[in-house]
Amino acid sequence: MGRGVTLLLGCVAAGAVRATPLVAQSWRSLDVARQLSDSAPTTVEVVYGTGMFGLRGTANPLLYHMRLRYDASRTQPRHAFDLATRKLHVGVEKSGVRFTGRNDNESGQLQLELSRVVPLDLSLDLGAVEADLDLTGLRLSRLHIESGASDGKLRFDSLNRTPMSVLQVSLGAASFRGERLANANARDIRVDAGVGNVELDLGGQWTQDIDLRVEVTLGLVTIHVPSDIGVRVSVEKTLASFAHEGLVQRDGAWVSTNWESAPHKLRISAETVFGKLTIDKTGR
Amino acid sequence: MRLAILALILAVPRSPQKAQQPASLQTASQRTSPAESAKTGNSTAASVSPAAVEAPEEPPVQLDKAARDSIHELITRFRRDPQRVPLPSDNQIAMGGKTVAAGTQVNGPVAAAGGPLHVYGTVNGDAIAIGSDVIVHAGGRVTGNAVSALGSVTLVGGTVQGEMRQLGGGLGDVPRNAATPESRIGATRHAVALSSSWLLILILIGIGVLVFANSYLEGVVESLEGRFGRSFWAGIAAQLALAPALALLIVALAVTVLGILLIPFAIVAFVLAVVGLITLGFLAVARITGESVAPGRRGHAHGVALRAIVVGVVLYMGLWVLASAFTWAPMVGTVLRGIAVAITWVAATAGLGAAVLSRGGTRRPAPPFATAVPVNDVPWQTPTPVTGVVAARRPTPASSQRER
Repeated sequence: MGRGVTLLLGCVAAGAVRATPLVAQSWRSLDVARQLSDSAPTTVEVVYGTGMFGLRGTANPLLYHMRLRYDASRTQPRHAFDLATRKLHVGVEKSGVRFTGRNDNESGQLQLELSRVVPLDLSLDLGAVEADLDLTGLRLSRLHIESGASDGKLRFDSLNRTPMSVLQVSLGAASFRGERLANANARDIRVDAGVGNVELDLGGQWTQDIDLRVEVTLGLVTIHVPSDIGVRVSVEKTLASFAHEGLVQRDGAWVSTNWESAPHKLRISAETVFGKLTIDKTGR
Repeated sequence: MRLAILALILAVPRSPQKAQQPASLQTASQRTSPAESAKTGNSTAASVSPAAVEAPEEPPVQLDKAARDSIHELITRFRRDPQRVPLPSDNQIAMGGKTVAAGTQVNGPVAAAGGPLHVYGTVNGDAIAIGSDVIVHAGGRVTGNAVSALGSVTLVGGTVQGEMRQLGGGLGDVPRNAATPESRIGATRHAVALSSSWLLILILIGIGVLVFANSYLEGVVESLEGRFGRSFWAGIAAQLALAPALALLIVALAVTVLGILLIPFAIVAFVLAVVGLITLGFLAVARITGESVAPGRRGHAHGVALRAIVVGVVLYMGLWVLASAFTWAPMVGTVLRGIAVAITWVAATAGLGAAVLSRGGTRRPAPPFATAVPVNDVPWQTPTPVTGVVAARRPTPASSQRER
């Protein structure tokens, strides 16, 4: 290769590197709270695009407390509470939930605290988010999590005092771990993931039987079940494997040996393509 | 800005309540001392309505001109902030702080700047502090929002019926609105970086093709050199056939049960094949262009080919770099980009056609005509009389009628 060609390649490479656009960022913070005036049921909708998201209950007399750190050049905060309909919208504007391709040295952050007194219908619409959802102590009548590409952890360290109608998790490409989900006090749990690693720990306090529906297109699904819980698994799989240690096949489904005698039962309906489903009944 | 805020802090005397600048919103249960909690008698600001306490008299705060200017600057910025709330006119904003006395009712919005806003009475509307705190004391009530810009909202037994907001980090317009002149330069830089990167990537791909798939490239080059026009029309035909071919492929897979699972892979493979053919063809065009623009000197064949490819790619992609360099001038940039699109399209189309005709460079075109070798054609000819043979005429209906 001639010197001319080498020089030309060097110049082009240098130009490509040097001409990296400057990004104008404007990091701001917003701290928003509302005092608790009553304990009427409230619908909460959280929208958050990119960054770190933390959610937990608060013992302070506040309905909500949002601490948001955001890039004002990219997005705008959203905080609205309709007293008449008891609907709370927090997070960022939905139009701001977009991927810009910028290489951020800093990331946004949303910390949300919700009242432990008020029954909540909670809906989380998350983009590419690292989420830590500690729902311990909250009174959740319904929980719906929708996430694009996230690394999420959800946990209930104590029993949800309000029976939950449905716990629904819809993930795009994500890694998701749910801990002590029996404490969610939900009869119906649905997890739907495109690509990713889903780990569900159904430990905690069992108050009722649980129907768990899991759909994962491509990925690993691991379900941890306490040893005293009866398990029945019906699987639809295509090019996927199913680790069913401790389960026996009966009537077209896989059933644990303590199915009849168990105080509570877990009915799992799983559908997976190109993946692996593992039932861990070791009692963790 | 920081100096202005520092001057402001120095200029404003400490208020009697000594409002601090906490990092977040605080309620009485968090903020007050045990003695104060005992005095107000409640730890949850909203659940119990505490008794009103005396509002301390505050002497009017005297601010010097620099401090007032910096406060006005803050107010102006707050008015432009996306998170702003309606403010009263400047002359109604209390400079250096304000106290709403116990037992009084004030219609909002009530605003203070450069000093804390103490609420012992009732504010019917918003209570706003700019560059300072809003402190709602026991018995105090705000029926709207309590908003602090660059300060904090603190509840000391009071009630806020609306939201408590603290704005931090900056005030005013979002930079993207303020920095319009820079944004054009930024867009130009970004466009130049993008086109330069593509130029570099294509050169690297060209090197890779020369090293690992030179025979295929040679095949496409030969096909292109021999029949450029045919390659161009074949390229257009291939472009028109792309979508139907993909649809046909999907349908063909869908009719078989097992094939349905292969559809995603088939789509990816199809796209990769098309991109590969286009790239191979474009590199062949670039090489021919490079050879014709800068004829190769004597040397190693690979070196000559590389030089030709680099020159050709630089010529074609140079148009894009030039067009992107004029992003700051939309009219010129659009014209240049149009020219670049047209030239690149012609090159890519001819290259695609040549790649298709040569089956990806695996099939060389036959030489146009071999040099005529003198052959003795006498031996294979059927011997005929020198005078020729009279052909018999077959009767036809027309000729029969004519004969009648």
